[in-house]
Amino acid sequence: MRKQRLVVIGNGMAGINCVQEILNHQPDAFEIIVFGSEPHYNYNRILLSTVLQGSTKVEDITLNDRSWYEDKNIKLYTGETVTYIDPDNKLLRTDQDREVSYDKAIIATGSHPFVLPILGNDKRGVINFRTIEDCKNIIDMSKHHKKAVVIGGGLLGLEAARGLLHLGMEVDVVHLSKHIMDRQLDPTASIMLQRELESQGVNFLLEKASAEIIGGDSVEGLRFKDGTEVEAEAIIMAVGVRPNINLMKGNRIETNRAIVVNDYLQTNVPDIYAVGECAEHRGVVYGLVKPLYEQGRELAKHICGIDSQGYQGSTLSTQLKISGVDVFSVGDFVGDETTKTITHYDEQANIYKKLVLKDDKILGAVLYGDTKVGNRLVDMINKQKVMTDEEKMLLLQTSDRNSWQVSSMEHTELICNCNGVTKGTILESCQLNNITTVEEIKSCTKASSACGGCKPLVTELLTYIQSEGFDEVIEKVTLCSCTTLTDEELVNELQIRQLRSVDEVMRELGWLTEGGCSTCLSAIQYYLGMIYPEYEKEQPSLFINERMNATMQSDGSFSITPQMYGGLTSAEELRKIADAIEQYNIPQVAITSEQRLTLMGIAQKDLEAIWKKIDLPLSSTYGNTVQNIKTCIGETICTCDKHKALQLAVKIEKTTDYVVTPYRLKMGISACLHNGAGSTTKDVGVIQTDRGWEMYVGGSSGRNVRSGQLLCVADTNKKLYEMVIGFIQYYRETAKYGERSWEWIDRVSLVHIREVLFDDDLRKQLSENLELEMKQRKKIVAELI
Amino acid sequence: MTEMLLRYFRKKQKETQTEKIYDTQCPFCSMQCKMQLIEQSTVTRKRYQTIAKDNPTSEGRICIKGLHAHQHAIHGDRIKHPLLKVNGEFQKISWEEAIQLIKEKFTEIQSLHGNDTLSVYGSATITNEEAYLLGKFARVALKTRYIDYNGRLCMSSAASAATQTFGMDRGFTNSIQEIPQTRCMILAGTNIAECQPTIMPYFERAKENGCFIIAIDPRETATTKLADLHLKVKPGMDAALANGLLKVIIEEELIDQSFLERRVDGFSEVKEYIASIDLEEIAELTGVPSEKIVKAATVFGKEESGMIFTARGVEQQTDGSIAVRNFLNILLATGKIGKPFSGFGAVTGQGNGQGAREHGQKADQLPGYRSIENQEHRRYIADVWGIGKEDLPHKGVSAFEMIEKMDEGEIKGLFLMCSNPVVSNPSAAFVKQALKKLDFFVAVDLFVSETARLADLILPATSYLETPGTMTNVEGRVTLREASFPLWGEAKHDWKILCEVAKALGKGDYFSFDSPEEIFEELREATRGGLADYSGITYDRLRQEEGILWPCPDEDHPGTIRLFEHQFAHLNGKAKMIAVSNKPEVEKEKPTEDFPLYLTTGRVMSHYLTGVQTRKSPTLAAREFESYMEIHPATAEKYQIKDQTLVKIESERGSIVVRSKRSEAIRKDTVFVPFHWADSQNVNQLISKKLDPTCKMPGFKVSAVKISPVE
Repeated sequence: MRKQRLVVIGNGMAGINCVQEILNHQPDAFEIIVFGSEPHYNYNRILLSTVLQGSTKVEDITLNDRSWYEDKNIKLYTGETVTYIDPDNKLLRTDQDREVSYDKAIIATGSHPFVLPILGNDKRGVINFRTIEDCKNIIDMSKHHKKAVVIGGGLLGLEAARGLLHLGMEVDVVHLSKHIMDRQLDPTASIMLQRELESQGVNFLLEKASAEIIGGDSVEGLRFKDGTEVEAEAIIMAVGVRPNINLMKGNRIETNRAIVVNDYLQTNVPDIYAVGECAEHRGVVYGLVKPLYEQGRELAKHICGIDSQGYQGSTLSTQLKISGVDVFSVGDFVGDETTKTITHYDEQANIYKKLVLKDDKILGAVLYGDTKVGNRLVDMINKQKVMTDEEKMLLLQTSDRNSWQVSSMEHTELICNCNGVTKGTILESCQLNNITTVEEIKSCTKASSACGGCKPLVTELLTYIQSEGFDEVIEKVTLCSCTTLTDEELVNELQIRQLRSVDEVMRELGWLTEGGCSTCLSAIQYYLGMIYPEYEKEQPSLFINERMNATMQSDGSFSITPQMYGGLTSAEELRKIADAIEQYNIPQVAITSEQRLTLMGIAQKDLEAIWKKIDLPLSSTYGNTVQNIKTCIGETICTCDKHKALQLAVKIEKTTDYVVTPYRLKMGISACLHNGAGSTTKDVGVIQTDRGWEMYVGGSSGRNVRSGQLLCVADTNKKLYEMVIGFIQYYRETAKYGERSWEWIDRVSLVHIREVLFDDDLRKQLSENLELEMKQRKKIVAELI
Repeated sequence: MTEMLLRYFRKKQKETQTEKIYDTQCPFCSMQCKMQLIEQSTVTRKRYQTIAKDNPTSEGRICIKGLHAHQHAIHGDRIKHPLLKVNGEFQKISWEEAIQLIKEKFTEIQSLHGNDTLSVYGSATITNEEAYLLGKFARVALKTRYIDYNGRLCMSSAASAATQTFGMDRGFTNSIQEIPQTRCMILAGTNIAECQPTIMPYFERAKENGCFIIAIDPRETATTKLADLHLKVKPGMDAALANGLLKVIIEEELIDQSFLERRVDGFSEVKEYIASIDLEEIAELTGVPSEKIVKAATVFGKEESGMIFTARGVEQQTDGSIAVRNFLNILLATGKIGKPFSGFGAVTGQGNGQGAREHGQKADQLPGYRSIENQEHRRYIADVWGIGKEDLPHKGVSAFEMIEKMDEGEIKGLFLMCSNPVVSNPSAAFVKQALKKLDFFVAVDLFVSETARLADLILPATSYLETPGTMTNVEGRVTLREASFPLWGEAKHDWKILCEVAKALGKGDYFSFDSPEEIFEELREATRGGLADYSGITYDRLRQEEGILWPCPDEDHPGTIRLFEHQFAHLNGKAKMIAVSNKPEVEKEKPTEDFPLYLTTGRVMSHYLTGVQTRKSPTLAAREFESYMEIHPATAEKYQIKDQTLVKIESERGSIVVRSKRSEAIRKDTVFVPFHWADSQNVNQLISKKLDPTCKMPGFKVSAVKISPVE
């Protein structure tokens, strides 16, 4: 089947935007032909004034270049004007006598500048300001002349005037009424604007009606109706535009001020549409970009057969594009006897805001000096939103750039509760993966992919990340300065390459230093130990087996600590120990904070004999291992039953004896709410309550005291035991070496740890893992002896 | 399924070997989100993942509960066999023994004490088919008048209010798709953000479109954050607040006079009563400043469309029914019903809260929302069931009243299906005491729930993954939940259990069903011509049309999207307004010297009802593993309650111990405790036995309590 042929008359912003929308819906449905009178590709006409002002180059304002038309298979005729439409035969003719048939035609001829019908308006030096050519003319003119007059103190006139100043000219702006931009601003804002532009060098001639342009072939001046005159070498006409509807003469397409269209941008003739400045919708002809785009969007839907409400008209808003001048207005900013006005006028800060309301709904507004809420105002007017007092206050306040709810959140706080995604995770993936949309965040992190409740927060976070004030940069942290690898990468490499010794690791993975440092040495050893349970760590402490070990002190002597699980001992044990103390003159014996006796100051030569003499299991908690448990024995504040707590301590200690951890792990067990063992400042601490055991994790009683967080309440001893063992093992398996329990909890989140430990299967798996490791280790120890 | 983080490869799972996909629907709230469970089997274990499916109501969203719903269904604690209590311990017995025992015990009780000494307690979480069959089971197999269900504690206020005002009770009078277009809405006592998370985008879209949202709640919640105006009402004062709104609407002439004249009875009485009240007095009573009442009423009155949503905050009160009616008064006065973007929504809590209240589980009701005391209705249903009209028992009493009758010894046997009344009813200690007095108590459940612990016999039921059937969602949309997951152990479907017990009792002919669809076919007949008419709905249509909004009186009928466009369901076609006094008929508790604070209760997002299922799910429990008490910091200081410490809360009925959570979001005179936990954390222990005189709803949302730190 032959594709339908769509002809677009006009290669400006309205027409091409509509084509783009059509292609978005149906890339291949039409054969598209575009005619444009100007000899250019589609460019952004609005930016012409910024070209004059020097902030944009002509080359940069092209919206669609040749390759775009070619990519989309659009046949473009530039510099060619359609001069005749024959609706009956569905034919067009151009000024180059080209005849083209169409199935559908879109008229997007735009408008042309209105030239004041006064004497002398055809002299050299009278310039319009509409096209690239006009813009170039003005720039050329400024090179030879000094003095220009702009007729028209509206948006375009002022932007042109500012541009002429930039080009080094003297500028007078002539305006018919008392206030400049009187159609877009109220007198207060208008005067503020006038003062500002005057301070920049524009001279205003207000309430002046132009009567005649004087001079010979070229412009020399302008005479007003009041008889006064002003000198000028160039005159820029900026007194408005008129729709280009000449084409409609002699055919039956209905026109009024412009081409009359309905909500679907249809003219009275089937298959002929009009969009943009040449169209008149519900009696209104729009001359701003936003409405043209809105029209284009609706027209595209209609042409592609997509159901829609049609075009409902646009709320007009104006923003002046002059650098350093923020002016905005929208809707009805004048009001009448049924409306109420709120104004905020800060002369010092040069800020003026005026809201016009009816029944607490905004009808219009003028903003000067701070226009950040402009878009929100347009939105509220469109939605007919009833305003709360807080919303009014927010609009009137000077906008605060740092008012982000998300900026004050911790990196560890959850954004997405369903999938447990933290702020940090989103920050990280946005920065490391260059994410720019909410959809990407959703697919990358899963945040907002379930119930969608956090989508507003995710959106805010993304806006915050993309804002100027954002400074929470996340960088890749390497293990230490000896390597470019992160912990994660190191662990992966160790396994992929099956590396088995420190030397091998440093050699194979390109260590930057000879022999590493204390950080990476210990880390590599820990990871090798986790990967290969049989891996034997080099230890500064002396460890032969459970009954033969000691810790070297800084003075070269050794200390040994008989293992008394839970701090429980007996006459027999004490007698053995006492005998050894006596026999070997052990100089110091002390009771530790973890309820053990420690024998200090032992000479290396005596060690073996003492081990033999004592013949008890010894406790070795040197370095990063699970420490002996502090209990609340001896606490005299209460007389609660401490039996269960002791039993638990013994049971847990027996399982975790000699277990290596990423960082020293301290535990406490308290028999009652008096918390005699300081359980809330331990890595793992439990407190007995009426409902069972409260288990706190991630506390610390080091130099920086931290309270533990409540992980769970276990209703039985068995459950508590499983939770403690599961927690320790999961910490061992997933923490980075040297990571304290609270750092690990913050990183993976407490909720995640609960998810794992509350799962009966996973908890069981963890405790089996630990058991297996211990068995393998004990076997190796046994073999060594 | 929660997966562990894995740093060390040797622990990684083997590759997936097979994959199975099960179509299902979330077993929890009234949104009934469609989803699929994907089962991946490896050599060593099975892994599960849930994904959302597009559908007209949840639009392809699911919340955290849905994502992890399967966790309880495959939990090791699920009962696999019938369990009989012998010397205080449960022992496994066979189904034959179990059914035989029920037969003997039920027969014995009834022959000794009469038919009405047996009772049936049902649920709003079971399917329509099962709800229907349970009602028939009570009346035909057991011939008892005593049947009621847990919906009494949930939806009865809104149901009775809509019935009395409109003549008909369907959760939403409009389709859910209309919400984003409404111009103003009142969310009265509803925390949808926590309770029905997947509905939120409809409300967010409304807000984006410029809708002015008014929230009424004693607490700031994720829902009130959405609101433009939050009326932080004193607990229990909703009816009075509605009077304040009505007063402004009437006096500012924001009423729709022509609508009132054409379609409403009773406006003049309301107007007269409203004239007698004083707005400042209302402000004083409700704790809401009069300017805010004026603003809310003015916006609602002036905007061209508006909707009101109520939920348990207004409804779980001893004046719940009349309070909801007062909100309906506002809709009627402003003419905002029966047209696009204007209407009422009772945000049903339970999964089948709507369907389960339509088909005869209620004490006074027969299928199709028929009345058990209406002669014509009795005759119709008796005919469908093939029994004599005179053999159909008359109406019984409400759920809590049944428990009172157990305590009094009038009811001696109980058949409990899918409910946990020991945790969900007020005065839990009393409920326990009553259940313990029963001669014979059968519980049908997935787990040994707090209530099942008291049973003589527990029968293992199937989960949502295993039982297909229809569920009627929050809108009133009938949906078909597919289910094909293998049955758990020896568990049986609820409907199958009912059929087998009925057969043992000699009523097998009335219960000869082989599939839920067969039951549904009978349900269609039974509802034909009733208010909740399902007769035009078939399983095939439900599959093709992704759900149908009732009433749907014939197979060519598309279902009813919007109710009351031309007339209301009362005989004269008009709606009924009623003047609602600021002073409720049953007086509510107020803070006293001994019990100086209000207590109110509610849900949290990660749990559902009494938590029997959600507490079993590791992922859900990980988010909230215990109860808590939300308290204003200033109040906490006053009572020396530190943050995150145990606190004892006492009312005249009992005491509980939970952890404190300081929050500025709550009124200073009120504390809040969620209700998903049992035993020493069961907040319902503190609730009074007083009931709403109309619908017999207990007053869960207001009690007077005192608090003290636990040392």
